[in-house]
Amino acid sequence: MAFKNSQEKTLLSAHISVRYADKPVLRAVQLKIQCGEVLGLVGQSGSGKSTLAMAILGLLEKKRTHTEGNIRFQDSELLQLSERELRALRGRAIALVLQSPLSSLNPALKIRTQLKEAWRAHASGTSEECMTAIRACMASVSLPSDDEFLRKYPSQMSVGQAQRVLIAMAVMHRPALLIADEATSALDVITQSEILALFRHLNRSTGMAILYISHDLASVAGICDRIAILHQGEIVECGTTEQIFTNPGHNYTQRLMAAIPRVLSAGANPQRKSEAAAAR
Amino acid sequence: MSLGRKLACAALVLVMSASAAANWLAPAGYSKQYREATNAPPSHTHWLGTDEIGRDRFARVLYGTRISLLLAPAAALLSTLMAAFFGGLAGYLGGAWARTAMAVTDLFLSLPWLFLLIAARALMPLNVSPLISVLVTFLLLGLLGWTTAARVLCTTAASLRTSDFVRQARAAGLTGQRLFWMHVVPNLKPVLYAQFWISIPVFILSEANLGILGLGVAEPMPSWGSLLKELEGLVSVGEEPWKFAPLILLAVVVTSFQLLLSKQEEAA
Amino acid sequence: MKRKERQSEMMVAPCWKAIAAAIICLGSLLGCATAQASGELKFCLRTEPKTFNPLKVEDEASGTIRYLTGGVLVRVNRQSQELEPELAQTWKLSKDGRQISFHLRSGLSFSDGTTFSAEDVAYTVQQLMDPALHSPTGDAFRSGTGNVETKILSPTQISIRFPAPVAGLDRLFDQVAILSGHSPKKEMAVLGPFMVADYKAGSTVLLKRNPNYWKSDEQGRKLPYLDSIRLDIQPNRDVEMLRFKRGELDLINSLDSEYFDKLATTSPQLVHDAGASLDSEQLWFNEVAKSPIPKYKKAWFHSANFRRAISEAINREDLSRVVFHGHAQPAAGPFSPANKFWFNAKLKPQTYSPDGALKALQSDGFRMENGTLKDKDGNEVVFSIITNAGNKYRERMAVLIQEDLQKIGIHVNVVTLDFPSLIERMTQSFDYEAILLGLTNVDLDPNGEMNVWLSSSENHQWNPQQKTPETSWEAEIDRQMRAQASSSDLKKRKEAFDRVQEIVVDQEPFIFLINKNALSAVSTSVHGAAPVILSPQTFWNAERLAVSAK
Repeated sequence: MAFKNSQEKTLLSAHISVRYADKPVLRAVQLKIQCGEVLGLVGQSGSGKSTLAMAILGLLEKKRTHTEGNIRFQDSELLQLSERELRALRGRAIALVLQSPLSSLNPALKIRTQLKEAWRAHASGTSEECMTAIRACMASVSLPSDDEFLRKYPSQMSVGQAQRVLIAMAVMHRPALLIADEATSALDVITQSEILALFRHLNRSTGMAILYISHDLASVAGICDRIAILHQGEIVECGTTEQIFTNPGHNYTQRLMAAIPRVLSAGANPQRKSEAAAAR
Repeated sequence: MSLGRKLACAALVLVMSASAAANWLAPAGYSKQYREATNAPPSHTHWLGTDEIGRDRFARVLYGTRISLLLAPAAALLSTLMAAFFGGLAGYLGGAWARTAMAVTDLFLSLPWLFLLIAARALMPLNVSPLISVLVTFLLLGLLGWTTAARVLCTTAASLRTSDFVRQARAAGLTGQRLFWMHVVPNLKPVLYAQFWISIPVFILSEANLGILGLGVAEPMPSWGSLLKELEGLVSVGEEPWKFAPLILLAVVVTSFQLLLSKQEEAA
Repeated sequence: MKRKERQSEMMVAPCWKAIAAAIICLGSLLGCATAQASGELKFCLRTEPKTFNPLKVEDEASGTIRYLTGGVLVRVNRQSQELEPELAQTWKLSKDGRQISFHLRSGLSFSDGTTFSAEDVAYTVQQLMDPALHSPTGDAFRSGTGNVETKILSPTQISIRFPAPVAGLDRLFDQVAILSGHSPKKEMAVLGPFMVADYKAGSTVLLKRNPNYWKSDEQGRKLPYLDSIRLDIQPNRDVEMLRFKRGELDLINSLDSEYFDKLATTSPQLVHDAGASLDSEQLWFNEVAKSPIPKYKKAWFHSANFRRAISEAINREDLSRVVFHGHAQPAAGPFSPANKFWFNAKLKPQTYSPDGALKALQSDGFRMENGTLKDKDGNEVVFSIITNAGNKYRERMAVLIQEDLQKIGIHVNVVTLDFPSLIERMTQSFDYEAILLGLTNVDLDPNGEMNVWLSSSENHQWNPQQKTPETSWEAEIDRQMRAQASSSDLKKRKEAFDRVQEIVVDQEPFIFLINKNALSAVSTSVHGAAPVILSPQTFWNAERLAVSAK
């Protein structure tokens, strides 16, 4: 995969354990993300993928969860930061895109309001400046930014458009890290490939690192530089996409591989996967 | 502007200006008893006839409108805001807050209200002017009427708290008040609107029923509630249709408001 | 009998007394109609009857059944208001008012065939006075401590001796239905014209003709004419009215004036206005010394002049005309003119005169300022009238009074309260200024009102339970009431009670406003009906009623 020039620098390195009450969710998970790389995090539902994402964003409920370890991001230690400092990072340096675009947008607000809110969370300025920023990020996700479109409510858009709006919001402040938590899982195949292409494009054009979380190994393949496999709260294997696909080391990874239809190989177009699935 | 909205607008303007001009439109006032013409049908002197003790129904409807139209929405607003604040906030904050709020509303709902209202009446002196009496009543209604709605709002807000878009908004760096007002409150709006519109007629009728406890508007002052009481046990509907004037007015006003505001909501 | 607040619809043993022995004029009129007539009479009970034991009757519904099934020694004719013989052919009161002897009819038997004798009367009296039974009817007979002695002189002669004089003793027997001391059917064995044949709780009570009833009409035909009476339990007045209109019911005993007028417009032949009844509506001020109301207000309320002025400023004609649609009469005093014997005929209703009222007030130091009346210390004359919520007639009366008094510069706040709160204020906290209420009078005799007029009594509403009379006029009322109670000389009693009525009208501790008319409705298929003002208005002569096929 391309864009390897800044790969030497570590953007985020985490070494954490998380427990909900007495139930361990993440056990001494070690994860490193290099600047500008796309890291895939693959695991079944319940394996702790989202918990890891939330832990990085500092959004785990402190009362109910217990987090140990450290998460180093750029120059700061995330677990030591105050809520105020975390808030300043969220959305600006680390952004999140969630699975279901329609439920991730506030149904009661026009998208312009939501985009403005996202902008104002980390910037101050006139409304023209705000609109300029909105237009720019809308353009970057290939969405129109005319008034008519911005006046829409989430329910008046297609799923693909909504997901692009979410991504636009996420990239508005040019974050160093974008966490995409199952960001394409709810989409139909064509939209899915479009959005994946968009992620790739953003990654290349801005140098933004992406932590791409998915349960679907195949879909990850087309976009990720490296893949980490999370199983029952532990990273069982981590390596380049090629390594994982050609020589899966861990038993669980092998099972994941076995679940992918045979025609597919590393780097295959995810679109083909579903064609194959349909053909079966 | 659609025809419906135009009509609603016109109806409201008409009703409001008529009640504002009550002194001029019905100079004899709401308490003058025409004892020689009790229970009279409509005539050129009494446009809506007279009531059982000969008071001009038209004047009473105008003055009653003034009182109910000012106070019922005010009380509804009060209770809605209280419901939004307590229910919404408790649900949004979750955990112990929500449990406390639920416990408080449970307590509120389980209190013997009749008894408490009787006690409230006992605390009030007997010699209060009719206006104070009706003000106190609507204030009580507003202060007491929020609990059921608060429960609904609490659960709604709680589900909002864990919703994807709130998570997304948090991840975008929004916190605290901004998150509450931008993302929680707007989504409570439908419930709040419903609560508000349901409250108005409910409060108007409750006010009438509280008359039993010596609360509510006192004679001779009229309110929609006390006017609606006339319809109690009315056997012969067809014979005296003009007696329905207050009911029709209530229906027209509530529908007009609803038409007007819901459309605005959509357009906004 | 007591005067009772009327709200609670539950009258204490309505004093229903004997059926007329002979109504000659009606007899001839009925002659043809009833020759073959019989049929079933249908009307409503407004509540479930609580008991079939005549001695335990407390509620109106049970009272109705007692009236129709029970045989009594003597009965107050509801039309003439005279006491008439029934099971007792003659009776005699002793001079000291402690003893009464009855001479009974012979050869009578209960509905189940058990013979009737003086033993049954003795048994009934013993039951009546048994403390364990708590007979409400018996309470009226309890005049002093000690036992009641019954002496059976022969199967048809009995004398009953009380430990202390009982005022109006003979008339009290109107409510004592005689029980059988021997019948295995206990209280279901009756001596009255009808007997309970079937009872479905919550639905109906069916009364059938008592085959052993002893009376016959003037033509020798056995009474009652009716085969049966069907009493439907129906608390809803609207439904009662509807069913009457549809012909499913034959009579409605007490109508309110609104229903009366509605019915009168469509079928005037069905409604009967028997004129003023014994029921009164009155207004009174709080004269309790320890009541929590301002001192200056107490001073007004204690002033007879003030009370008279208020009385004079109230337009009673309008009250009866506007509120009751004319089906009420301005009240002259504590007793309605409908009480033929006891009413003091010298008394006339207060004439309406706001000017006169104002003059009287001015002579007491009150003055008008900008349309507001102020007392001599400059306090505005404002007071509240409380009445029970939900009674529209009373609420309307209050509003009329409010406007009447506004004319003399007095501002009245009308407060409607739920009945328990009102009673609490009236009897416990005394936290009120004026009350508008009605009293249902169920007794013709002033003895029934001892508990209202004696200053030491709980029901001396304007200032109850006084240790010693606080005013000279109350002391005088106490004296006169005691005098009439301890005498068995009717003329003397009448004189004493006339005096009481005069004092009350002069002092106006109760401002009597109106006496409501007795309104009823009777279907045209009922023959022999002659509604009266005393309860049971329409079927007091049930044994002589007949229903023809519709």
